[in-house]
Amino acid sequence: MTIDMNAYLGHWPFRRLRHNDAAGLLALMDRAGIDRACVSSASAIFYKNSQAGNEELADQIAGHEDRLIPFAVLNPAYVDWEYDLGVCAEEFGARGLRLYPNYHGYSLGDACCNELVAAAAERGMIVSIPLRQIDQRQRHWLLEIPDVALRDLEGLVERHPQAKFVFLNGLGYTGSRLGRADSGLPANYAIGISRLSAVMADEIGTLVRNLGAERVVLGTGMPFKYPEPALLKVEVLDAPEETKQAILGGNAERLLG
Amino acid sequence: MVIDAHAHLAWRGGNGWEERDRALIDAADRLGIDKLACSNLCPRRPACPEDFIQGNEWVADSMREYPDRILGYAYVNPGWVREALEEVRRRVGEGFIGVKLYNEYPCSEPVVFQLVELCIELNVPILHHAGYSHYYVAQQPRMSGGVEIAALANRYPEAMIICGHLGGGGDWEWQIKALRSAPTAYADTSGSVVDEGLIEMAVRVMGAERLLFACDMSMTAGVGKVRGAQITEEQRAMIFGGNFERILAKRGGSQ
Repeated sequence: MTIDMNAYLGHWPFRRLRHNDAAGLLALMDRAGIDRACVSSASAIFYKNSQAGNEELADQIAGHEDRLIPFAVLNPAYVDWEYDLGVCAEEFGARGLRLYPNYHGYSLGDACCNELVAAAAERGMIVSIPLRQIDQRQRHWLLEIPDVALRDLEGLVERHPQAKFVFLNGLGYTGSRLGRADSGLPANYAIGISRLSAVMADEIGTLVRNLGAERVVLGTGMPFKYPEPALLKVEVLDAPEETKQAILGGNAERLLG
Repeated sequence: MVIDAHAHLAWRGGNGWEERDRALIDAADRLGIDKLACSNLCPRRPACPEDFIQGNEWVADSMREYPDRILGYAYVNPGWVREALEEVRRRVGEGFIGVKLYNEYPCSEPVVFQLVELCIELNVPILHHAGYSHYYVAQQPRMSGGVEIAALANRYPEAMIICGHLGGGGDWEWQIKALRSAPTAYADTSGSVVDEGLIEMAVRVMGAERLLFACDMSMTAGVGKVRGAQITEEQRAMIFGGNFERILAKRGGSQ
């Protein structure tokens, strides 16, 4: 079972995405050999009311629940997120959240964010945080959104030991507490591989050694990104087959419950 | 034959360079890359002759150590006109396959032209660092964009100018569109950016015959995006190595 924990549907305002409806994404998954994907709305990142994007996502996923697993984009600084969380979890079947603090104008340390994370944990939902959505060098002239800082994630995982976090589109973990074996941080987070190296510096191999194979998950970033590079990282990783299978899907299955 | 058209060897100024170079070869082994076209950029830039000559000497050393794997680019700073021209002529005579230019000068500067003319005479390509972002890149004020690369290629249509890293230099749609009007210019596909559709747009706008597979040290990104692109197998084979073999053949073989 191959499960991608980092996939999207919908639109990005600054570049035309392909394969960004359900049929297109499923075709891309078939091509790449990906069985299931955790999917959130790319449009919701820019909608003021992100719930409208979650509603679009639910419409797209309908009939494909066996392969597309909804994750909700919620902004805890926007009115009535508590109600939206309930709708996403209970009506749309969302199994997790995607948070965009730097796009939505709040800090991971803000009270509203901590309330949302606690509420998601209460429901057993995964809280995933893409550290970036695009490479900064190719940003649009209207917008400069900094990456989420690794040090801000350290505080978050410490404040919510009962939560389940998945960090996406990041790198450099091995240079922070998050990637160290003796960090003292709770083991409540997993790390997606889309930007990590599997050869030369081999950050994936280091994370597997430091944190355990169960803490690293497949995340491609499709359809923003080709799915093949992330799959290739697992293919060439210098690791036992059981480690590769855990990264490809076993860990995601466990996290999704 | 799979040839990485844009790779770098480690500067030997400190510890660990042998391990880093060995790791590059090991990565190439695991990813099915037969040859790596390498330069060795000095950390102190703008480069002075002492440094770029030293880096090229280390490339020559690696070419001897890995004769079936390493192809050499001679890196020079074109601002040191006499030294750069002498160094390129000497290194090509030793078997280097091309010239690497970084960001000391935008390629629209006349100081670059004599070097291009020498490369035409020697039948070797110039791999030019390039990128374009929609903000001022303070660290690289003299970086060339696709527009400047295209202008240089159109000034010297007989030259083989390679625009560096479509996937590593900012707005790749801009770069590809800029190169459309320079039919003799090539682009390499390297860089950490693996945006879906990049390769397909480059094939559609520039043509597969003008694209060269490369990693620029982002190894799985480099291979994965070409492997994943929705193009024909013939186009994929051209990008992975056929086009670069054709470039190498212009001066008599692929070493």
